[in-house]
Amino acid sequence: MTILVEMSNIAKSFGGTAALKGVSLALAGGSVHALMGENGAGKSTLMKILAGVHQPDGGTISRDGRAVSFGNPADALDAGISTVFQELSLLPNLSIAENMFLGREPTTRLGRVDYARMNEEARRALAELGLSLDPGTLVSELSIAERQFVEIAHGIKADASVFILDEPTAALNAADVEILNRHIRRLKGEGKAVVYISHRMDEIFAICDTVTVLKDGALVGTRPLSEMTPATLIAMMVGRELAALFPPRGAEAGEEVLALSGLRVTERSKPLSLSLRRGEIVALAGLEGQGQQKILRALVGQYAPVAGQATVKGKPFALPASAASGVRAMQARGVGFVPEDRKEDGLFLGLSIAHNISAALYSMRSELSIAGSYQRLIADVMQRLQVKAAGPGAPAGTLSGGNQQKVLLGRYLAAEMDVLLIEEPTRGVDIGAKAEIYRLLREFADRGGAILVLSRETVELIGLCDRILVVHGDTIVAEMPAAAATEHNILDAALSA
Amino acid sequence: MKADTLRLLSTKGSRQGMWLLPLLIALGLAIWLSVQTQQFLNAGNLLNLVAQGMPLIITAIGQMFVILIGGLDLSVGSVISFTTAVLALDGPGIVLIPGVFVLAALIGLCNGVIITRFNVHPIIATLSMQYVLLGITRVLRPVSGGTVPDVVIASVSGSFLGVPLPVFWGIATIAVAWKLLYGSRFGLHLFAIGGGVASGTEDAAHNFGIRDRRNIVLAYVICSCFAALAGVFLAGRIVSGDPNVGLLFELDAITAVAIGGTQLSGGVGSLHGTVVGALVMALLANGMNLANVSPFIQTMIKGAILLLVVSLQSRKKMGL
Repeated sequence: MTILVEMSNIAKSFGGTAALKGVSLALAGGSVHALMGENGAGKSTLMKILAGVHQPDGGTISRDGRAVSFGNPADALDAGISTVFQELSLLPNLSIAENMFLGREPTTRLGRVDYARMNEEARRALAELGLSLDPGTLVSELSIAERQFVEIAHGIKADASVFILDEPTAALNAADVEILNRHIRRLKGEGKAVVYISHRMDEIFAICDTVTVLKDGALVGTRPLSEMTPATLIAMMVGRELAALFPPRGAEAGEEVLALSGLRVTERSKPLSLSLRRGEIVALAGLEGQGQQKILRALVGQYAPVAGQATVKGKPFALPASAASGVRAMQARGVGFVPEDRKEDGLFLGLSIAHNISAALYSMRSELSIAGSYQRLIADVMQRLQVKAAGPGAPAGTLSGGNQQKVLLGRYLAAEMDVLLIEEPTRGVDIGAKAEIYRLLREFADRGGAILVLSRETVELIGLCDRILVVHGDTIVAEMPAAAATEHNILDAALSA
Repeated sequence: MKADTLRLLSTKGSRQGMWLLPLLIALGLAIWLSVQTQQFLNAGNLLNLVAQGMPLIITAIGQMFVILIGGLDLSVGSVISFTTAVLALDGPGIVLIPGVFVLAALIGLCNGVIITRFNVHPIIATLSMQYVLLGITRVLRPVSGGTVPDVVIASVSGSFLGVPLPVFWGIATIAVAWKLLYGSRFGLHLFAIGGGVASGTEDAAHNFGIRDRRNIVLAYVICSCFAALAGVFLAGRIVSGDPNVGLLFELDAITAVAIGGTQLSGGVGSLHGTVVGALVMALLANGMNLANVSPFIQTMIKGAILLLVVSLQSRKKMGL
C-alpha cells in the first residue's frame, strides 16, 4: 500500500489551549481509516488542518512523499484532498449543482459557467447516490437529509485521491448509510484513501480497515481494526484517571424542585422526562451535540422544543418558553441559567465585577425602582468565591478564565437561586480553579440548591454529580448513579441506544 | 391574483429577489404619467428621462455588486463628484479619461482592502472614504466650473443612427455588468460569498476554496469604476466639474438596488431588478419634476421609500 498523506507531529493551539499535541497520521491508498476519540479529542481540528481550514503551529504534512503546506482550503483541494464537513456548510442561495462545483466550476470557451455540463454531472452524481433531485434546485429548498447527501456528493465526486468524511451519517437513516458505505467501498477499491469519523461503532467496524485514536489532543495509537473489538476500542478512547479534584458527594436528596415531562426536543425524538431534587447535582452526559444543550436551553426559552411541560417548585408551565423573556422568567422562579460561552453570553466583559455580580439582582427588581446598593453583598460573594482581583471595580474582562467563571457563578449565588442550569462549568479554566468551582457547586447543593449541568468532559460529570442522565438522539436513553458510572459505560449506553 | 401569479411574484426557489413587482410598478408609473400629463410622452421628455436616469442606473449596478456580497459602498457619490472635478482639470482627454478610472479603481481597492484586511465594517470604511474624497474634491474644485474634454461632452449629447447616445451608454453598461455577474465564475462566487454572509456562515464560501477576499476587493473596485463611469456621463451633461453633483447619490443607488429586490443582507438579487429599481426611481423623479414637486420634498420622499423597501425585506435570513 502506498502512503498518500503523512501528517507528523502536528501541533495546534487555540488561544492558550492546546488542541493537538504532536499527532501523527499516515493515510494509505485503498484503505478506510477511522479516526476516533471523545469529544474535544482533536479529531475535527486534525482534519481541518489536513483540509487547509486551520494552519498547524508545528509539524509537517507530506503528500506523496513531498512536504506541503496548505494556506487555505483551495490549496488542499488542489492537492487532491476533499472534505465532507461535519457541520452543514452548503450555501442556501446556490443550486445543488452550483454547490457541488463551487470553486472549480467548468467554464465554456467564453468564460461562462458551463451550466449544462455542471447540471448533467451533478444529476449523475446524485443518481449514483440514489437521489432524483433537480440539480437546479436551490439548497434552501432541501430537507436536512437531502442537504447532507448533496454535501456527500460534493465531497466524493471531486477529482481527489484523499477523502475526509467527518460524521457524514449524523442526519442519515440506515438505508442511506448503506448507500454511503457502498460508495466508500468503491473509493477504496479505486485505491483512494478515506478518513472516516463517526461515533457509530457498527459503522466503524463495517467499513474501516485501520483506526487511530486521539485523546485530549494526543495520539493514543493506530491499530488495524481486525485486532480490535468495540470493547477494546472504547477502552482505548477512555482510559483516563479520575483526578482527585472532586468534593465528596452530598447526602440524601430532598424534595423535587424542577421537573420536565413529555419534552420532545425535535419532531422525531422520543419524549423525555427528568426530575431534579434539592441537594443533588445531575448531569446531562453523552456524545457532543446529541441534545444535552437543547434540553437545558429549552427550559429558559433559548431553544424551542416541539412540546413539553416544566414544573418549578410545584408550579407547572408549558414549553416552549418565550425566547425573549424565558431567562428572566426562570430567574424570577429561582432558576439561574449559566451559559456555556461566558465571554459572549455570560459576562459583561467591559463592566466591573460588582456590576456583573449584581446584574441578576437588578434584573429581578421592577423597572422603575430606585437601584439600591449591593456593595456588602458583592464583597461577601467575592470573598466566599475567593475571586482574585484588584477589587470589585475591576473590569470582568481583565480576570483570568477561572475568576471570570467564579464571577458568573457569583451572580446566581448572590441572587439566591434554588436551581442552577449550567453549561460547561469549567470550560477554559485551569485545574486549580476547577477544583474550587466544583467545591462551590457542591456547597450550593448542600445548602439545598439543585444543579442540572452539562459538559463535554465526561470525567468532570462523573466526579461532580450525583446522577447521570445519558442523552442520545435528543432524548434521555439511560440513567445511572454517578458513583457507579464510568466513561466506558456512559459511552456504551449512548452508543448502544 | 391567481396562485401562479403570486408564485411568480414571490422569491421562492430563486435568488433573483422580488423584481417582477417593481417592474409592474415601473410600468404602472409610466402609464399613469402618460395619462396624467401630456408632457411625459413627448420625445424631449423621454430623452430627458433616459439621460437623467442613466447615472443612477450605472451607479446602482455598481452598488449591486457590493450589496450582493453583503457589503455597502457609501463612497460612490463622492467618487462621482471627484470624477467630474478631475475631468475638469483642463488636461488632454486621452490622459484624463483613463485617469479617472485608474483613480476609481484605486479608491475601490482601498475600500476593499480596508474592509477585508483590517476588518473594518463596510459602512464605516466607505463613509470615511466618502469624507476623504469630498475633501480632495473641494481642494481640486471648491465651486463648480472648468471645462471637460470635448469628447466627453460629445459622447452624451449626440446621437447615432437616430438613437440618442445615452441609450448606448445604458446598453454597454448593462452588457458589461451582465458578463461580470452571469457570464463568469466571478459572478457566481459573489452570490456564494453573499449567501454565506446572509446565512451567518461567513467562512462558507472560503471553505469551498473560493478566494473570497480577492473577490470582495474586486466587487468594491467594480463599484467604484461604475461610479466613475456615471461621473464621466454627468460631467458630459453639465460640461464642467462640480464638487456637489454626486451628493446623496449613494443613497439613491442603494434605494434603487433595494427596490429592485436585491436583499441588503447579501446573496439574493439580480441585475434586471436593479435596472428596474433605477427606472422606478427615475420615473418618480421625472414625474415629480413634471408635477413641480420641490426637490426638498423629493429628497424626503426618496428617504421614506428606502425605509419602506428595506423594512419590507426580511432582515434576518435569505428570504428564500
